[in-house]
Amino acid sequence: MYRNFGVLILGFAVSALALAVPASAHHSWTAEYDAQKPIKISGVVSKVEWTNPHTHFYVDVADASGKVTTWNFEMASTPALERAGWSRKTLPVGTMVTVEGFAGRSVAERAIVTSFKGPDGKDFFVPKLGN
Amino acid sequence: MKRTVVAAIAAAAFIVPFVAQPRAQDLPRRLGGENGPRKATDAKRPAPMLADGTVDLSGVWTGGGDATIPRMLGKQKLDELLQPWAKEKLAAVKEADDPYFYCMPGGPLRITGGFAWRLVQTPTDHAKYIFMLQEGNAHTFRQFFMDGRKHPEDPDPGWYGHSIGHWEGKTLVVDTIGLNDKFWLDGSGIPHTEKLHLIERYTRTDYNTLERVVTIDDPGTFTKPFDVKYTAKLGEPNSEIVEYYCIENNQWGERTNSDATAKAIPVVK
Repeated sequence: MYRNFGVLILGFAVSALALAVPASAHHSWTAEYDAQKPIKISGVVSKVEWTNPHTHFYVDVADASGKVTTWNFEMASTPALERAGWSRKTLPVGTMVTVEGFAGRSVAERAIVTSFKGPDGKDFFVPKLGN
Repeated sequence: MKRTVVAAIAAAAFIVPFVAQPRAQDLPRRLGGENGPRKATDAKRPAPMLADGTVDLSGVWTGGGDATIPRMLGKQKLDELLQPWAKEKLAAVKEADDPYFYCMPGGPLRITGGFAWRLVQTPTDHAKYIFMLQEGNAHTFRQFFMDGRKHPEDPDPGWYGHSIGHWEGKTLVVDTIGLNDKFWLDGSGIPHTEKLHLIERYTRTDYNTLERVVTIDDPGTFTKPFDVKYTAKLGEPNSEIVEYYCIENNQWGERTNSDATAKAIPVVK
């Protein structure tokens, strides 16, 4: 059953995903994240940094052997998220989430978010910002 | 220990789905800005006026200084404008080195996307100013002197310089000198010198729209002055600028700098 939380690296067509990529308020994301590394991960929110220039949601993911990896998911700034209706309590610690995005270039266990799904499978709106 | 952690995660996966979580789309849009809706009918309203006969520019605005100069002008035109040293410097620019990403001020030309800013007019007898309060990136302000004073003879260069403003009909004209050469002129990394002189023309063309045409003059960098045009949009009614401190948790340098030991700034968590 731990497989439910396994890391799923999906070979999505990058060009299709690129349409949904959020640029960041603070900087462009391509220097840090790799458009050739699309990811889809399910796990449990273990820490929320409601901070700037960007917010970070840390998600614990267990693989088939039970090894837990903490991923660092980067989202937009607090002003951008607040304008989209988020607060620091929108995704509290303990929430089961499925996240899609692109993994880091120099640090593997981090990613920029393109899609956040809550425990009921419904989407949280990920703000798309100016570049 | 490891099994406990895994068990806790597994348990959470079963418990959490039964707890209703608020979804972003269900929450009220409390603040305006780029991601907030505006009233479509506002577009037809004319720009409001102040009692002293000048245009009311107050309000929360978004955009108006985000597009890069190459994107606006095209590469060929930019090549004609850049002096050889500037062309060479621009070609060697690495995005990761943008001072802005290290939370340094972006300078007066750049008003980056995703953030809001507010113009505040104080047209009283004893204090004629217009302030631009910027939420991002340095969470700072610009001050335009509206009392008819001149620029200082030889101002010490700063990140936002010395700005004097006056009205030409319904257009606010802001003249800025006294700028340092530490910031990038725009997000593409175009350099400049302390000779940089900006003339901004702000025109509220309708209730929702603020046009910003900027003449960029730097005889140390460009072959001649040139104009760029931006458009800012009004935030939704009752918008506010909000708190934003870039230095709080900037993880930029840790991941992008070729020197792996380099850190952007101390991180507060």
